[in-house]
Parts: sequence; C-alpha cells; structure tokens
Amino acid sequence: MAVLPDEDRAAVWSQFMSDASGDRDTLGAVTKAELRAAINVADDWVDTNASAFNAALPLPSRNELTAKQKARLLVYVVERRWEVT
Amino acid sequence: MASGDTLLIFTPLHNEPPSANFATLDMRNLHPVLDFDATTNESAVFSAVMPRNYAGTTGVTVYLHYAMSSAVANTVDWDVAFERIGDQQLDIDGDSFAAVNSVDNTTVPGTTGLVDIVNVTFADGADMDSVAVGEGFRLKVTRDAASDDAAGDAELVFVEIKET
Repeated sequence: MAVLPDEDRAAVWSQFMSDASGDRDTLGAVTKAELRAAINVADDWVDTNASAFNAALPLPSRNELTAKQKARLLVYVVERRWEVT
Repeated sequence: MASGDTLLIFTPLHNEPPSANFATLDMRNLHPVLDFDATTNESAVFSAVMPRNYAGTTGVTVYLHYAMSSAVANTVDWDVAFERIGDQQLDIDGDSFAAVNSVDNTTVPGTTGLVDIVNVTFADGADMDSVAVGEGFRLKVTRDAASDDAAGDAELVFVEIKET
C-alpha cells in the first residue's frame, strides 16, 4: 500500500486538530504547518514499516488476518499504551 | 451616545450560520462559543439594526473576544465585513458583503481558556458598506485559517461594535 494521498493526509490533519480542540488538549508551540509535516512523516513511517510489522506477527495471525484487521490490532495496542481513545 | 460608546453586542447565540463553512456552536464550561476550524475558513454572521445614536461620522470598531481550544502559541487571523440591507438597498436573495477588514498575526493567549480581545476599525461609509443609522445590516466574522498558523479551533465568545 502506498502512502496516503494528500487529501487524506489533510483530512487526518484536520481531524487531529478538531479532536484536540474538543479535548482542550494543548498542542504546545507547534504550528499548523509543523503539525501537518508530522502527520506526513507518520504516514511515511507507517508505509516504510508496514512490512516489518507484518513479518513480526506470529502465525497463524500473519496469514489469517486481513490487512485491515492487522491495522486495527496495531491501533488498539497503541491506543491502550498511550490511553488515546 | 458618542465616540467610544458601545453600539451593539453579539454573543454566539446570535449567530446566523451561513449555508457552508460555518462556525459551529459549542459550549465551553457552559459558556456558549463559536468554534472556527483550523484548516478551513469558517464564518459567523450576525444581524442587527444600526442604533439611532450612531453619529455616522467616525465609523465603528469591531471587537472580537476569542479563546483558543488547544493552541497556546502562534497566531490567529480574523476578517470582518459588513453588508448593508437598509431601506430598499439590498435584494436579500443574495449576499453583498463589502470587502473585509482584518486583524492578523495576533499571538494567541498562552493559556487556552484565556479570552483575548482584538479589534478591527471601519471608516464610516463604503468601508462598512455604507450602513447608516436605522438601517438593517449583517456582520460577518471569518477566521482566516488559510493564513494563520495557530493549531486547533478558535472560539468566538463575544462581538462588540463600538462607535470609534
């Protein structure tokens, strides 16, 4: 899977700030543009490391789960680790 | 009334949202606020009749009271425009806002709950779409999210129109 299209990255950017606003979660001194750059890098990192994550999964999950299910698994773990809901 | 006197005050509950790209009504600790998005220019619109005590010479100053939802640094930009309705002056089936006046590059408060007050001046006449005493008009407030750099929503808390 390739990196997200620009419009999808923009949607993530907008949603991230909207959710932070709703939570009154301060974003420090980061500008909107800098936040967008961080989202781009995060997407690049996911794209670069997707194969490594898949290879790390044990069998039979690696073969039986769909790509979307594996992604959801990772999301759930990350959310629980950092208490992000 | 004279220069320096308040003419009108609007709260978020007076907003008449445009059909698209509108600021969203929200509550912050039970304070009504209007949330302006960080990535899309959104607007709020307020209607009124220019009070009879407006002298019509020195123009008006529009004060925007705002807070930030999550930003504690960087800047926010606001645009304000008038639309005269008047006495058979405008066919209200269409919009006719005058050019905006702006207050730009305002550094946001260092605490998200603090309300900052900025102002934009309008000369009497075309600058405020020639709104005259006793005439209906609309005021549009827009966050210029395309140009500013503070992350997260801006929240409009009050608007005051003062005779300059």
